[in-house]
Amino acid sequence: MNQPLIVGAVAYTPNVVTIWEGMRDYFAGTPAEMDFVLFSNYARQVDALVDGRIDLAWNTNLAWVRTVAQTDGACRALAMRDTDAVFRTIFVTRAGSSFTGLDDLRGRRLVLGSKDSAQAAILPVHFLDHSGPGADSVDISRIDSDVGKHGDTGRSELDALRAVLDDRADAAAIGINTWEAIGREELMPGAFEAFWQSPTYSHCNFTVMPHVGDERTTPWVEQLFAMDWENPAHRSILEMEGLRAWVPPHLDGYASLFDAVREQAIPPRW
Amino acid sequence: MVSRSLVSHGLVLDLVEQLGTIARYDTVTLPLEEDERDEQRSVVAAWCTRTGNELVELGHDTVTVRRGRSPDPLAELGAALMPGARLWMYTNFDCNLACDYCCARSSPQSARKALGLDRVRRLASEAVDAGVTELILTGGEPFLLPNLDELVAACTSALPTILLTNGMLFRGNRLAALQGMDRSRLALQISLDSATPGLHDLHRGRGSWERAVAGIRTARDEGFRVRVAATLPHGQSHQQQPFHTFLDSLGVAPEDQVIRVLAHRGVADEGIELTLESLIPEVTVTAEGVYWHPVTAGHEDQFVTADIFPLQEAIAEVRRRFTEMRARATAAGQWFPCA
Repeated sequence: MNQPLIVGAVAYTPNVVTIWEGMRDYFAGTPAEMDFVLFSNYARQVDALVDGRIDLAWNTNLAWVRTVAQTDGACRALAMRDTDAVFRTIFVTRAGSSFTGLDDLRGRRLVLGSKDSAQAAILPVHFLDHSGPGADSVDISRIDSDVGKHGDTGRSELDALRAVLDDRADAAAIGINTWEAIGREELMPGAFEAFWQSPTYSHCNFTVMPHVGDERTTPWVEQLFAMDWENPAHRSILEMEGLRAWVPPHLDGYASLFDAVREQAIPPRW
Repeated sequence: MVSRSLVSHGLVLDLVEQLGTIARYDTVTLPLEEDERDEQRSVVAAWCTRTGNELVELGHDTVTVRRGRSPDPLAELGAALMPGARLWMYTNFDCNLACDYCCARSSPQSARKALGLDRVRRLASEAVDAGVTELILTGGEPFLLPNLDELVAACTSALPTILLTNGMLFRGNRLAALQGMDRSRLALQISLDSATPGLHDLHRGRGSWERAVAGIRTARDEGFRVRVAATLPHGQSHQQQPFHTFLDSLGVAPEDQVIRVLAHRGVADEGIELTLESLIPEVTVTAEGVYWHPVTAGHEDQFVTADIFPLQEAIAEVRRRFTEMRARATAAGQWFPCA
């Protein structure tokens, strides 16, 4: 039997422990057992992955881009959540603001989330540059909370929404997961409305280094894909991790973030 | 200036943020704005429904929300242990024996406290619709009742039934009553504590072992499925092999050889302590009302309700109390962690 694969993950909430203990239990007794190590931030996790101290990493899209850069593309993505393949950034404003697109942000106040959040900071600038009036023509402010966790906590996005509610900003850019968490426009009529949503892009994936061979990763991925939403034991783990099914990685979905990181000269460590 | 409605929206943002920082099943309590309570309550309730979190309490000026939904203790039990899957009925409390560990305090001097044919008929009838899958008649000694055959017929016509007895009275009219019972729907459970007379007779009276064994043979000869149940002190419950060997020799199937640990209830001087918290309920009806479990029937601390009917509501009440108790235990565990 193979040695258990050691998976790294970032502890952005206490629930992470429950999630990964559930994953470890799911793989226990299979030909592809696993254990996990938690990190306080993605920079440490990527270091550990590149150094070979862990076999796999549950990486954000920015951590994936960083790992690709540090390994000259030698790393591989094994799988992602179905929700990771269709991630979006949502631009929201106060209901009734009459914004209809990114061009309406010209000269207006846009609040972004943590600087290391792809969905709430890095990609919004990219979208303004490529699909809107250009970031330079927008009055941008940033809420840098929980830097290091790549926006996983969602805290900076909630703070950005508070800024819009308090009229400290005209609009905010948030991830679709936060938009769903607050109930979109339906739950709080009169509060927010979305005026632009980005094309879909890819978010997290399991990243593996080349020294971990197919003989170890293939059975693990097969076991991962066998998690079944209709199985109550699997479902509780899937619900916590925010997916209905694991899917093969959509690598094309990272193109916009590779471009954004290059264009914005994002530093290699956060 | 922040408008009224925006206060409610801020509460949702606070909920999302604070739930994100706690572990699954933990709770957060947030204050409600004095002028916004009604609106905030409805927004939080709608948010919980939409996001799969649990609204624990809507207080006067606070709201408490759990991350995720607490597990359903009933669902965790599974169908076999679901309270109400079986219905126990104490047909009577008087007995021809006076066992020194009887949990029901039964003896020849005990009042009969008969459940009665009318109630047994109605219980059997309502049990089918209430989802009960098996009826169990116990006492006292049911064969002391002159109309036991009618009680049993009422039950077997509705559902598969088990009749608990000491097996010592299969003679004359009582044997005739037994012979008239529906073998395809009725199993007998006869009490026998040991493979030899010593231990059994010590607790149940001289000569009782021999008559119980004769009862087992009679019931089997009459074509009934016979289960045999032993009650053993906790320290002796490992000494089972001679007992099983003996029951094998009587033709009792291995799955019908039941060992029960002595409970410190009724007239028993010793035994394991049984509390509401430590017993998964088995809905039990006596003439006095509904009890938590057959081993604690007649004990005030485990009395559930005097309202036997409708049976479905009595079962629902037992399930409700069980769910509430488990939720309290879970909450206590979270408040008093071991480390």
